[in-house]
Amino acid sequence: MFHRPLIACLCASLLAATPLRAQESPVALRGEVHVVRVVDGVETRQPPEQVVPGDKLVFSTHYRNTQAVAVDGFVVTNPLPAQVMLAADGPFEVSVDGGTEFGPLASRTLTENGAVRPATLADVSHVRWTVARLEPGAEGELSYFATVR
Amino acid sequence: MTTPRLPLRSAALAGAALAAAALSAAPLTAGGVDAGTLISNTATATFTTGGHPQSVTSNTVTVRVDELLNVTTVSNDAGPVTINGSAVLAFTVTNTGNGPEAFTLLADPNVGGNAFAASVSGLALDTNGNGTYEPGVDLPLINGGATPVLAADASQVVFVLVSAPTGLANGATSQVRLRAEAVTGTGAPGTLFAGAGHGGGAAVVGTSGASALGNGGLVAQVAAVSLVKSATIADPFGGSRPVPGATVTFSIVASVGGGAAADALVIADAIPAGTTYRPGSLRLDNAPLTDASDGDAGAFIGNSVRVDAGSVPVSATRTVTFAVTID
Repeated sequence: MFHRPLIACLCASLLAATPLRAQESPVALRGEVHVVRVVDGVETRQPPEQVVPGDKLVFSTHYRNTQAVAVDGFVVTNPLPAQVMLAADGPFEVSVDGGTEFGPLASRTLTENGAVRPATLADVSHVRWTVARLEPGAEGELSYFATVR
Repeated sequence: MTTPRLPLRSAALAGAALAAAALSAAPLTAGGVDAGTLISNTATATFTTGGHPQSVTSNTVTVRVDELLNVTTVSNDAGPVTINGSAVLAFTVTNTGNGPEAFTLLADPNVGGNAFAASVSGLALDTNGNGTYEPGVDLPLINGGATPVLAADASQVVFVLVSAPTGLANGATSQVRLRAEAVTGTGAPGTLFAGAGHGGGAAVVGTSGASALGNGGLVAQVAAVSLVKSATIADPFGGSRPVPGATVTFSIVASVGGGAAADALVIADAIPAGTTYRPGSLRLDNAPLTDASDGDAGAFIGNSVRVDAGSVPVSATRTVTFAVTID
C-alpha cells in the first residue's frame, strides 16, 4: 500500500493526514520482558540484564485501543520461545500442539507411546488470551511467567 | 471450542494471582539453554473493527542467556584405593554450566582426619576416555593445571597420582581432595563477571560457586614383619649352661603380617660380644647357606650374619638359624 512515489507520500501526509492514520492498526501492542527475582522475600521485576537457565521471566504484552471505535473479538496469541517453559498456569488458554487447539491447561492431553496423559506446564507451546471487546481508549496488560530451560 | 472471555479489570487482577502462583515453580538446574542464546518473544492480536478482521503484531523482545558457571567433581573409585608406595585416584569433573569452560584442578592430600598425608606427584587427563590411567598415553598435568575447555555438560576424567610416606601402619586411611574451579572465576552464587560469558554476555556463578571438590580415599596396604628370636644352649658337658665353650644356637623367625608381601626382606643379626660365630652354621628354613657373599642368600660379613629372604608373601614365615661359641 506504500508503493507510491516518496513525494506523493509526503504530500499525502501533509495534506491528507486523516486517511493515512486510518491505515494504522486501531490497537497498539507493546511487548516487554523482565526477570523475576525475589529480593528480601519480595518478588520484583528487573530488567533482563542477567539471565541464566533456571531464571524466571515474565513476558508482558500491553495493549491499547488507540482509535475512536470499539474493537471486538480481541485475541492475543503468544507462541512460547523454545528456550523457556511455562512456569505457572494462568488466566489464559494454552496449546500443547503447536497452536492448533487451545483450552485450559487442565483440559489438555498428550498421547505418548499410545498412552494419553495430562499435559503439563512443560508441554505448553502457546498461550492465548481473549477479550470480548475493547472500547475506545481501553488498555490492559497480559502476561505469562516462564522459566529459562 | 468455547473461549473464556475476560473483561479488562479481571484480566489485571488475574495477572496478580498469576504472579503469586508462579512463586512455587521449581527452577531448573544443571546445563540448560546454551550461553549466548537469544530468547525472543512476540505476541500477535486478531480482532475485528466494524466487522473487518484485522491483526497486529507486537514488537519482539529479546533476552540473551548469560553463561552459568557450575561444576561437579566426583570420585570414580568404588572405595578406598590401596596404596603401597604409590596409587592413582580417579575423578570425573563435569561442566554443569551452560557454556564452554575450562577448570583449574588442584589436588590436596591434607584433609582433616587423615591418618597420613600422601604426596601428590602430579595429575593426568584421561585422553582416550577409557577411565584407566595409562602412563605415556594420558596427558600429564601439573597440580594446579587446567582441563581443556569442556562443552556444557561435558566431563573430563582426571587422575591424581599420589605416593605414600614410609612407615605407614597397615590399614591407615587418608583422603585426597580434588577441587575444580571455573577458569573464568568463582565466588558466591550470583557473582557476576561482566562480559566474560560465552556468547558476549556475562558469566554468572551458579549454585556450585563455580567450584566443586571430590574426595578420593586411600588405605595403606603395607607389610608388617615381626621377628622373634630365641636361643638354645648346649654346654660341653651335655647340659644347657652358658659356660665358655658352650654352643648357642639362635633362631630368628620372621613373620609377615599386614596387608602386603614383604619385598626384599633382609634378616640380619650381629654376633653377640663374647661369642664367636661358628662357621658354616647359617641356615634359612633349615637349608644350609655358605658364609661367603656369593650366589646364595646367606653371608657372614663384619661379624654379622645376613640373609636375603627375598619376597615373602603375607602370612608366611622365614626362619634363620646360626650358631656361636661362648668365648
